[in-house]
Amino acid sequence: MNIPIRQYWRLLRTYLKHEQGKLVLLMILLIAGIVLQLWNPQIVRHFIDSALQPGISLNDLMGSALLFIAVALLNQLASVSSGYIGEQVGWTATNELRGDLAKHCIHLDQAFHKEKTSGEMIQRIDGDVNELSHFFSNFVFMLVANLLLITGILVLMYREDWLLGAGMTVFVVITIFVLQHIRKAFAPFWVKSSEAYAAFFGFVGEHLAGTEDTRANGASGFVMRRFHGLLRKMLPITLKASFGGYSMWVSTIFVFSLGRSLALLYCAYLWSTASISLGTIYLIFTYTELLNHPLEQIRTQIQDLQRADASIVRVSQLFATESSLKEKEKPLLLPEGALSVAFSNVSFSYGSEDAEQVLRQIDFRLQPGRVLGLLGRTGSGKSTLARLLVRFYDTGAGAINLGGTDIRDASLAQLRSRIAMVSQNIQLFQASVRDNLTLYNPSIPDERLYEVLSELGLDNWLHSLSDGLDTQLASGGSGLSAGEAQLLAFARAFLSDPGLIILDEASSRLDPATETHIERAIDKLLAGRTAIIIAHRLATIKRADDILILEAGETLEFGPRAALAADIHSRLYELLQTGAEEVLA
Amino acid sequence: MNAKEMSTLQSMWRLIRYRPILYTANAILWAGVHLFPLIPGLLIQQFFDSLTGQASWSLNASSLAVLLMVTAVARIMNIYGGALTDTIHRFHMGALLRWNMLQWILRQPAAAAIPCSPGEAVTQFRDDSSQAEDAISWTLDFIGKVLFAAAAIFILLRVNVQITCFVFLPIVLVISVTQIASKRLQSYRATSRDATGKVTGMVGEMFGSVQAIQLAGAEERFIHRLRTLNNQRKQAALKDRLFSSLLDSVFSNIVNVGTGLILLLGAASMQRSELTVGDFALFVYYLAFVTDFTSFFGRFLSTLQQTSVSFKRMHTLLQGAGADQLVEHNPLYLRNEFPEHLYPQHFPENTEAPFSSLSVRGLGYRYSDTNRGIANISFELQRGSFTVVTGRIGSGKTTLLRSVLGLLPMQAGEIHWNGSLVKDPVSFFVPPRSAYTSQVPNLFSESLLTNILLGLPEDRERQENAIHTAVLDQDIPMLEHGLDTMIGQKGVKLSGGQAQRTAAARMFIREPELLVFDDLSSALDVTTEKLLWERVEQTPHAACLIVSHRKAALQRADHIIVMKDGYIEAQGTLADVLSQSKEMQLLWEDEHTSACSE
Repeated sequence: MNIPIRQYWRLLRTYLKHEQGKLVLLMILLIAGIVLQLWNPQIVRHFIDSALQPGISLNDLMGSALLFIAVALLNQLASVSSGYIGEQVGWTATNELRGDLAKHCIHLDQAFHKEKTSGEMIQRIDGDVNELSHFFSNFVFMLVANLLLITGILVLMYREDWLLGAGMTVFVVITIFVLQHIRKAFAPFWVKSSEAYAAFFGFVGEHLAGTEDTRANGASGFVMRRFHGLLRKMLPITLKASFGGYSMWVSTIFVFSLGRSLALLYCAYLWSTASISLGTIYLIFTYTELLNHPLEQIRTQIQDLQRADASIVRVSQLFATESSLKEKEKPLLLPEGALSVAFSNVSFSYGSEDAEQVLRQIDFRLQPGRVLGLLGRTGSGKSTLARLLVRFYDTGAGAINLGGTDIRDASLAQLRSRIAMVSQNIQLFQASVRDNLTLYNPSIPDERLYEVLSELGLDNWLHSLSDGLDTQLASGGSGLSAGEAQLLAFARAFLSDPGLIILDEASSRLDPATETHIERAIDKLLAGRTAIIIAHRLATIKRADDILILEAGETLEFGPRAALAADIHSRLYELLQTGAEEVLA
Repeated sequence: MNAKEMSTLQSMWRLIRYRPILYTANAILWAGVHLFPLIPGLLIQQFFDSLTGQASWSLNASSLAVLLMVTAVARIMNIYGGALTDTIHRFHMGALLRWNMLQWILRQPAAAAIPCSPGEAVTQFRDDSSQAEDAISWTLDFIGKVLFAAAAIFILLRVNVQITCFVFLPIVLVISVTQIASKRLQSYRATSRDATGKVTGMVGEMFGSVQAIQLAGAEERFIHRLRTLNNQRKQAALKDRLFSSLLDSVFSNIVNVGTGLILLLGAASMQRSELTVGDFALFVYYLAFVTDFTSFFGRFLSTLQQTSVSFKRMHTLLQGAGADQLVEHNPLYLRNEFPEHLYPQHFPENTEAPFSSLSVRGLGYRYSDTNRGIANISFELQRGSFTVVTGRIGSGKTTLLRSVLGLLPMQAGEIHWNGSLVKDPVSFFVPPRSAYTSQVPNLFSESLLTNILLGLPEDRERQENAIHTAVLDQDIPMLEHGLDTMIGQKGVKLSGGQAQRTAAARMFIREPELLVFDDLSSALDVTTEKLLWERVEQTPHAACLIVSHRKAALQRADHIIVMKDGYIEAQGTLADVLSQSKEMQLLWEDEHTSACSE
């Protein structure tokens, strides 16, 4: 049995510090509740023994009965208030933890985020922390309370008869052991069943999304056949898992009946030797029954607590993960206005040292205010170059200077505020249009949003929305056409005042007519700023002053566009001549 | 929606009648499981009374203790029997609902097959079907518990009428009132669940858009928002918790209060030895079960309510289905192989006259939510034609293809195939007549080959041809296990272009007469696309209908349809549309502007 109390305490200590008063109150209420629960059977014993004795007044009995009811009600009060306070403490502490964990993670580098899906992050930040809050409520209320209750009952049993106490202690230990093992024996069936159901609903989800593909290719039969196959496989798995569940129920019935029978047998023996009163027999019977509930619960609680172990480890690991992007203690400031860009012998590889280099010895300078057209096949390292500029990653060898400052010497926040990047990868989220554009920055007035949207030709679209800027967008921008989503991503760039703009195949999803339409807007955006335009279409880079062509991570050629276009030996010239008017294949 | 919807109880009744014998056996076994606890109560009564010599049965205390064990073992056997019937029965109910839903959905116009996102629809398959299973299984517990309560009250009335009436009636009353109050709980629970959804949603969004957030330096603002939502969740959860723990404690303490009442009422009779300690033990023992029944009854009622919501949701999912569709008694073949006749799996054979023409007249479709769509679409497509639909974003190109192919329900217009009217495009436009590759094709998490075959038998020659035509032949050796590579969910292990070409191969292997593609260009480079068109030309097919704004396709076309705002702005040869249509000039012009033309 490995219950990770110490790690848990280390993790939550900070968050529970402010709640100490409540924690003390909680313990008092818990103990009070247990005492009340143990007291009530004693009242009944007194009642029975008195009732059977001649000459006791009816008022005495009535008094005991009323006391019993009062104790029951007090117990209720204690349990409700301790539940509420416990929940309050748990939520306050874990909310803080959740917030801090999210804050820690969102500042981590792209190497971290590339590995994690958002579903996984939900599981880490909400799922695991919830597990901890269950741990808290389970541990404090259930496990501690149940253990105290069991101990209390056993102590009181010893007081009645030491042999009875000893017998009950053995019974408790064996019960916990048996129930624990039965659970363990059947756990694999549960795992298998939940895996089978997860696969089944995964199948259903996939095919509900793919109805178009299924129908148009006449493949409904394939889907129904697979569905049937999954159903047939699931029936025996379901049966086994269900029998596992029932076995646990059945084993509690058996064990508790056994305990009850043995207790009654022993009581009958004590009665026959006239060493026990009828009231005491009833007391023992009640205490035996009272044991059932906590014993049954302890079994599942131990399981839950062990599960929390994994969560605690994962949460601590997350906190221990550090961004590989180191911030300088005294960052330098980047200059105002258009920024020059200089790559000095930059090499880079994702992953470890010996991984294949994505960029090799890149070396070029871009003067402030100039526009660089960056060309190359898919996988030649164009997007990587952009990611290095915004410091999603740090260069392996070499250095990048912006406005004469090494980007590692500037603060990340300032660096990114001076660069605007529009990429192919459009990230819209489930929030209002306004929040999607401003990213919760309340200082951007609505007028500015209207202005930008109309510049991008989105005013008609905006008018078609039922609630204007307050309209909620669906997650991932579904409901928008791919082109509209891309224009919204553009709009974000328009709202900032950067010194460098990176357009990473930003218009790949726009049709030529729409692209022409936003030309003017882009002109305005680029005016007085340095820009890097990554493109696979030659048409897109017609505004470039300089051209950089990458091939397999190396510079193939770099120079002013006019000069390269006129040089019959240049790759650019060749590309223009072969009429590869669309894509740089 | 249907004018006559089945009520929840009707639907449940229909489900129960799906496996009547199983249900009856189940009901009998579970009545046993619920009635068994009557016996330990009586045994305990006799135990106490045998000690004082007041027992009505002539058994000594030790044999009563042994009998307690015997009863437990018998009940255990009974439970295992019930477990078997109930699990099988529940499985059949759930499987039938899911089978009926999937079958219906696969018969609908596929682009509008479900009225919600696939993610939401999965909830209907998972949770709502289970809810219906639960409700039916609970009817058994209901029967069992009613029998137990009736028998227990009968036994107790014979012991002491006064205590039975004065203790049990108020308890039933209190619990019923609490049950009504628990409706409030549902609204607290819903608020709390919403608040939780907002928190997880926010975390998901945050980490789904982490690049955008980091680029904008908006980290702190998002965290602030998350903390606000967290706090709202805490408030909602606390309210929910307080209310539910109040209710819970009423239930758990009612036994104690009831015991107190028995003591109060029984004090005098006990002194007069009219009520024995055994009787008292019997009362307390049954009390727990009777209060359990009353709270069960309440939960059963709310389960029925939830079930009616679930049935409603499942009906909504089956838009346009008859009231009976969901619970229709269909065979599930759980003991046999899938019967071949249901959906034959072989290469579709063409038995009809070869394709000569497709004619579309006055076709229209409007999306109800955005009010956008297409209208008045008419065109002709002859054998041997290469027809290209072009236009800017949102002009209705995809809607046009979908409407023609019956992937959207037909709202206006007519379609003629070889001169005769197509009555039901939904079932008509399938291989070998036509096949379709969508703009963002869905692949399934199976092997690459299975994705291409989708149920067709393996046939080396046809496979190789299809893969060659789709220009996928170079890619396959590069994959880890070739054709047997598992391509992951939605084909994530393939590049965008590979996924699109896999979808194309899936279409080619069916050798349809009419090939329909929606914009291949976004994932294919020019060389590959050119190669693909060349290879398509060499395959046996009758006509192509594609969406594209690529020159490679437009130059090849013998007929071009230019879409604008849901209408056809112009159609004809490339020269025709270029001279007639300003829109076409715009679309075309940009393709020509290259870096050298300044």
